[in-house]
Amino acid sequence: MKKIFNSTESDEQLLINQLIAGDQKAFTQVVTEYHNIMVSVARAIVGEAFADEVVQDAWISAIKALPKFEQRSSLKTWLLHIVSNGAKTRIKRENRTDSLDEGWESVSADKFDQRGHRLEQVSIWDNATPEALLANTQLQFIIEKAYQQLPSLQRAVITMYDMEGIKMEEMCNILDISSSNARVLLHRARTTLHHRIEMYQDK
Amino acid sequence: MLQCKEVAEEASNYIDGDLSFIKRVGLFLHLLMCRYCRNYVHQLRRTIFTVSVLKPKEKDSTDMTSLAKKLHDHCHK
Repeated sequence: MKKIFNSTESDEQLLINQLIAGDQKAFTQVVTEYHNIMVSVARAIVGEAFADEVVQDAWISAIKALPKFEQRSSLKTWLLHIVSNGAKTRIKRENRTDSLDEGWESVSADKFDQRGHRLEQVSIWDNATPEALLANTQLQFIIEKAYQQLPSLQRAVITMYDMEGIKMEEMCNILDISSSNARVLLHRARTTLHHRIEMYQDK
Repeated sequence: MLQCKEVAEEASNYIDGDLSFIKRVGLFLHLLMCRYCRNYVHQLRRTIFTVSVLKPKEKDSTDMTSLAKKLHDHCHK
């Protein structure tokens, strides 16, 4: 089952031209599309308290630098690098070194016996199309809540990799983490969300 | 032979194709024989798909319209 991503190169070129020309609608579109993921990256690096400020500064730097943007990467990746650099500079200034990935639930140990075999049946979930999922407001609410409760680094990793289709290497670069660390965080995030969906399905 | 617990721990790497050949074959053989783990991997794939469709958002109270206006005005005075 393939993940779904959007935006093509020609759409992006058009959007960039409109931004440079000062089209108000293009500004609304770019903010609506990328602000959330920029917040996610900033929170993962610098924490909740300074993230908003870092993102606001990143937006202003990016819009000012846009005429010089050479499009060697996508607009999204470029924006995320700007946020990431801002957040890393801020973290140095604040001298923070604590881990932002604490308090997560793994696959519960009580699902396995002493020899590591499963204790309970695992059933197949009913098929669901994207349309059916988008119409299921209860499931949307459950997933959004579970997602918001994830530690910020896990949120950033699952957002970038599973929702936005950013490549592993690029993501590790932006978040300044190793790929083995990123894979662990990604699995933790997926496992937590899986657990919530499982509880919903079993109801 | 891999245990179900190990399959659960490596399931993401299996789905993303990020396992050594030996481990991948081990997992594949386990999945051939264990229906529960097969269903678990299916559920995890479904979770990833669901998240990629629903795209949950950060808790954030930013007013997107006024941020867009602020940026526009800042750069096109």
